[in-house]
Amino acid sequence: MATEYVLEMQNITKQYGENTVLSDVSMAVKPGEIHALLGENGAGKSTLMNILFGMPVIHNTGGFEGKVLLDGDDANILSPYDAMIKGIGMVHQEFMLLPGFTITENIKLNREITKPNFFSRILGKNLETLNMKSMSADARKALDSVGMNIDEFTRVQGLPVGYMQFVEIAREIDKTGVKLLVFDEPTAVLTESEATQLISVMKQIAESGIAVIFITHRLDEVMAASDSITILRDGRLAATRRTSETNIVELAELMIGRKGESVIDLEKRSVPHDTVALHIKDLNVDMPGEHVVGLTLDVYEGEILGIGGLAGQGKLGIPNGVMGLYDSEGEVELFGQPLKIGDTDAALRAGIAMVSEDRKGVGLLLDQSIEDNIVFNAMQIHGEYLHKLGPFTLKNSSDIRGIAEQMITDLDIRCFGPTQYAGTLSGGNQQKVCIARALCMSPKFLFVSEPTRGIDIGAKKLVLETLVKLNRDNGMTIVIVSSELQELRSISDRIAIVSEGRLVDILPPEAPDADFGLAMSGIKPQDHNEKGAAGHDE
Amino acid sequence: MTNNKWRRLLAIVLCAAAVLLLVTGIIELPRRTGRAGQDVLDDARIQALLSVTGESVVESYVAIAKKEAQERVRAGGGSMNDIREAVEKAEQETREKYTGESTDLSQIDTASLRAATNAYMNALDEYGSLETAARAQYIEEHYAEAQAALEEKHRAMLEAGQEIPENDAVVVDMSGFVPTPEMLAAEAAADNAYLAVGDAISLIYPVLDKDSVMTLKDSVRGMLYQSDDDFSSQFDRYVEQGRAKRTFSAYLLRHADDLIYTAIALLVAAALLLYSEWLISKLGIPRVIIGLFFIILCFMTLLYDLSLPTLLSNTVVRMGMNAVMVLAIVPGIQCGISLNLGLPIGLVAGLLGGLMTIEFGIPGWGGFLFAILVGVVIAAVCGYLYAQLLNRLKGEEMSVTTYVGFSVVSLMCIAWLVLPFTSLKLRWPLGTGLRNTIGLDSGNFRHILNDWGAFNIGSFYVPTGLLLFMALCCFLVWLFSRSKTGVAMQAVGNNPRFAEAAGLNVNKMRVIGTMLSTVLGAVGILVYSQSYGFMQLYTAPRQMGFIAASAILIGGASTSRCKISHVLIGTFLFQGVLTLGMPVANVLVPGSTISETLRILISNGIILYALTKSGGASRA
Repeated sequence: MATEYVLEMQNITKQYGENTVLSDVSMAVKPGEIHALLGENGAGKSTLMNILFGMPVIHNTGGFEGKVLLDGDDANILSPYDAMIKGIGMVHQEFMLLPGFTITENIKLNREITKPNFFSRILGKNLETLNMKSMSADARKALDSVGMNIDEFTRVQGLPVGYMQFVEIAREIDKTGVKLLVFDEPTAVLTESEATQLISVMKQIAESGIAVIFITHRLDEVMAASDSITILRDGRLAATRRTSETNIVELAELMIGRKGESVIDLEKRSVPHDTVALHIKDLNVDMPGEHVVGLTLDVYEGEILGIGGLAGQGKLGIPNGVMGLYDSEGEVELFGQPLKIGDTDAALRAGIAMVSEDRKGVGLLLDQSIEDNIVFNAMQIHGEYLHKLGPFTLKNSSDIRGIAEQMITDLDIRCFGPTQYAGTLSGGNQQKVCIARALCMSPKFLFVSEPTRGIDIGAKKLVLETLVKLNRDNGMTIVIVSSELQELRSISDRIAIVSEGRLVDILPPEAPDADFGLAMSGIKPQDHNEKGAAGHDE
Repeated sequence: MTNNKWRRLLAIVLCAAAVLLLVTGIIELPRRTGRAGQDVLDDARIQALLSVTGESVVESYVAIAKKEAQERVRAGGGSMNDIREAVEKAEQETREKYTGESTDLSQIDTASLRAATNAYMNALDEYGSLETAARAQYIEEHYAEAQAALEEKHRAMLEAGQEIPENDAVVVDMSGFVPTPEMLAAEAAADNAYLAVGDAISLIYPVLDKDSVMTLKDSVRGMLYQSDDDFSSQFDRYVEQGRAKRTFSAYLLRHADDLIYTAIALLVAAALLLYSEWLISKLGIPRVIIGLFFIILCFMTLLYDLSLPTLLSNTVVRMGMNAVMVLAIVPGIQCGISLNLGLPIGLVAGLLGGLMTIEFGIPGWGGFLFAILVGVVIAAVCGYLYAQLLNRLKGEEMSVTTYVGFSVVSLMCIAWLVLPFTSLKLRWPLGTGLRNTIGLDSGNFRHILNDWGAFNIGSFYVPTGLLLFMALCCFLVWLFSRSKTGVAMQAVGNNPRFAEAAGLNVNKMRVIGTMLSTVLGAVGILVYSQSYGFMQLYTAPRQMGFIAASAILIGGASTSRCKISHVLIGTFLFQGVLTLGMPVANVLVPGSTISETLRILISNGIILYALTKSGGASRA
C-alpha cells in the first residue's frame, strides 16, 4: 500500500448552481482511527459525505472538483451501491430498517445467503431459497461484536430506538470488506448510557482496523471518542487537529468563528429587566425534530431576546409550543396572566403574535391576496375589518385596502398592489407580509421565528431593522429565534442558547465565540470554564 | 420564432378567405328577397313542377302504349301469352323512351305556367297564413282542456301501474278543428288558381287530361308550398324534386348565409390562432378546447340549418337547472375537501324532500319550498355526519367522497324500495317500492321556477324564475365567501396549517363547508327536477356528482381554488356542448348515442385532467 490513509479527500469543491457549498476541503482518515467531522448546520458536512457516497444529488448537479482516494487509489464512486462495494458503510441518522422484518433479515437485506433449489435451477438465481441458518449465524456474530445480546429473530418493529441504532451498525459491520464506516450523528437519539455504549462499540470497531468517521456536534463526545478531528465552517476547512493536542474551547471557537460583520449596527443599551413579559416554566413541546424538554425561560418587557442553537435542538419548538401549534405542556404566564397552553386562539387573544419560520407552509395563504393575508388574524381573532349586512358579517373591503396600503408603505413591501397574490412575492416581501399580519393584531409580544431564512441580504437587513424599530419605538417585546448567530448577536439584548430541547445558557451578545460554541453543543460555558480552572489548579 | 411567423401567415390567409366569403355572402344574401332570388326560385319551382308532373306524363304514355299493344296483338289473334309479352315489351320501351329525359326549360315556353304558378302560390300563401292563425287560436282555446286531459290520462296510467313516458307533452287534439269561412273561401280561390296551373301544364304535356291533372293536385301543392317556408327550405325541396342541375349562381344564393357563417368562423379561427398562447395561458388548455368545441358546434348548427336560438335557449335552461348543483361543489373546494363527489348525499336528501311534497300533496310554491326545507334539513344532518367521516380521513378526500357517493346511491336503492310512501304517484301499484322516475305535474312543482315570469324573444325562451333563482344562490354563496366564517373556511381549504396558526378550528370549518355543499346539493336536485319535470330515483343521482365536478373544472376551477364565475362559465360550456352536440351528432351520425358517449368522455376526462394539475404548484 502506497499510503497510510484509507481515505483521502483532496481539495473538494462543490457548487450547487451559483452557490458554493464546499470550497477546497481536504480530509484524510487512517485505518483504525476514529475521525470526527465537526461543524454547524450548513457547514458542509452532509455534502462532503454525499460526495463520498456518490449520491445521485451530487452527479445530477454537475459533480464536484477534487479527488477521492481509497487506499491511495483514485476511487471514482458512482453510486451508493458502488460505495458499498468499495467498502464504505454508513450508519444513518434516520434508521433505514424495515420494521416488519426480523433483525437477521434486516442485517442481511439484499446480501442474503441463498442455496439453490428446483425452481432456481430452471428460472435463475433470484428464486433461490434463503439459507436462514448461515444468515442467522452471521447476524449473531455481528450483533455480538456490537455488544447486543438480543435474539436475532426479533422483529425490528417495537425495538427501543437505541437498539435500532445498534442493529444498523451491526448491518454495516456484517458487510464483508468494509474498511470505512460513517456514523452520522449516531448519538442524537440515544440515552446517555446508550451513547456511552455506542462510543465503546465504535472504539472496538476501530480497533479491528476499520476507520470510522464520526459526525456530531457534541464536543464532549468528540473529545472522548475521536483520535483526530476535521472542522468545517461555512464550506471551508477550518482546521484539522489531533484530539490529544486540542481542547474543547478551541474546538468550539473553530466551529463558530466570526462570520463577517454584524448585519446591522445598533447603539448599546442596558438590558431591560424590570417586568417579566413572558414567563415559561417546564415547557415540553412535541414538535417533530424540534422537541423541547422542560424548558424554563423569562422574557423581560421591552427587550429583544434571541434564541439560538443548532437545527433540531428545539429552539423552534419554543414559539410553536407557546402558540399551541404543536402539543405542549407546561406553564406560561404573559404579563402575570396565566395562559392556557396549547390553545392558539387564546394565545393570539392574549396579545401574542408569531411570525412562523415556515413562511410558505404556515405563514401565508399563497393563493390569496396580500391584503387578505395581512388582515386575516385581526379579522378572525379581534373581529376587525368587518361590517354587518343584515344577518351577514362581511369583509370591509375599504378598511382592508386602507390598512394594507399603509402596511405596504410602512414595511416597504415591494408589490404591484394590495391585491397581488402572496405566492408571487419574493421571499423577503413574503416575510414582510407575515410581519404585517402580526402587526395588524397590535400585539404586546412578538415571536419571530427564523425571520431571515431564505431571503437575500438586503431584505434581511430591512426585516431586522423593522424588528428593532418596533422594539425601540413601540416598546414591543420581541423574541427572535434564528439559526444565524450573527443575526442574533447584532440585534438581541440577550441570547438564549438551546440544546437538546433544554436551555443551556443565556449569553450577552458580545460573549466570545467559544462560549457560544460550547453552549450550542450543550455545555454551559461557565461550568466548563470553572471545571477547566479547577482542573488547572490541581 | 418561425413558428410564430407561420402562425401569423396562416392567420392572414384565413382572414383573407374570410373577407372574400363575407363579401360574397353579404352581396348575395339581400338578393334572395330581390329579383334574382325570385327568378332562381321560379326557375327551380317550374323545374320541380314539370318534373313531378312529368312522371305522371310517363305513366300516361305507358298506359297508352300498353293499351295499344294489347289491342294490336289481340287484333292479330295472338294467345294470352303473346298479349302479356307484348304489353310488357311496350311498357319497357315506353318507359325507356321517356324516363331520364330531363325537361329543358329553354325549349318550352313556360311563361303561362309561370304566371299561373305564381298566382297559385299567392293563393296558397294566403290560405296558409289564415290556417296557421286559425289553428293557433284553436290551440290556445283548447290548451287547458288538453292539459287536464293529459293529467287525467297520467292519473289513469298511474293507477294502472304504468310508467309515464318522459317526453309526454301536452298535445291539443285537432280533430275538433273546423275550418273558418275565410279559410274555405281562400281554399276555393287556391283551387281555382290550380285550375289555371293545370291548364298551363296541359299545354306543355298534351297527354295529361283534366282528370290526371286533378289527381296531381295534392302532390303539386305539397311540393310547392309548406307552412314556415323560407328561401332555403323551398329551394332545397325544389332541387330535390326537380333533379335539375344546379347553377352556380343559384347555389351561391342558396348558401349565402352559410358563406357568412363560414367567414365568421374563419375570422374566429384566425383570432384564436393569433392569440392562442395568450388564451391558453389565461384560460388553460381544457377550457380553450371546450370553448372551441362549443363555438364549432354553434357554427355547425347554423350550417345544418338547426335552430341555433332554440338550442341556445335550451342551453340556458339546462345551465339554470344544473347550476345550483355545480355551485354545491364550491364550498367543498373552499373548505379543503376537494371535489365533493359525495354530492349524492345532498341529492338524495333533496329527492326525499320532493317525495314528501308529493306524498302530502302540497301544491305549487308551498310544495316547492316545503321540499327545499325538508331537503335542507335532511342534507344538513347527513352532511354533518359525512363531514365527521371526512375529518377522520384527511388527505384521502378524493377517494372517500367518491365511495361515499357510490355507497349512498346503493344504500338508497334499497331505501327507495322500503320507504313507507303511500301516494300512487310514487309507488308501484303492485308490489312494494317507489317508481324509477316520478313525473311532476302542475299539481306539484313542475316548471315552477322555469315558468315564473318566463318570456320568449323570438324562439329564445327565457326561464326568468330559474335564472333568478340561480343568481340568488350564487349571490348567497358569494356573500358567504366574504363573511368572516367564509374567509376562515377558505383559509382552512387553502392552507390548514395557516388556519391553525391563526387559532381557527380546522375541523369545524370543514364541517361547515361540507354541510353547505350537501345542502346546496339538495336544493340543486330540486331545481333540476322541477325543470326536468321528473324526479329520478335509484341509480340516477350517481353520475350527477361527477357531472357537477367536471362542470366547475371546465369553468376554470382547480381542486383547491374556485370562484362563482367558474360555476357559471363551466355549467354553460358543459351544458352547451351537450345540448348542441346532440342534434349535430344526430345529423352527422344518425341514430347514434355519440352525444352520451361524449358527455361521459368530457366529464371524466376533465376530472382526470384536474387531478393531474392538483398535485402541482399551488399558485394559479
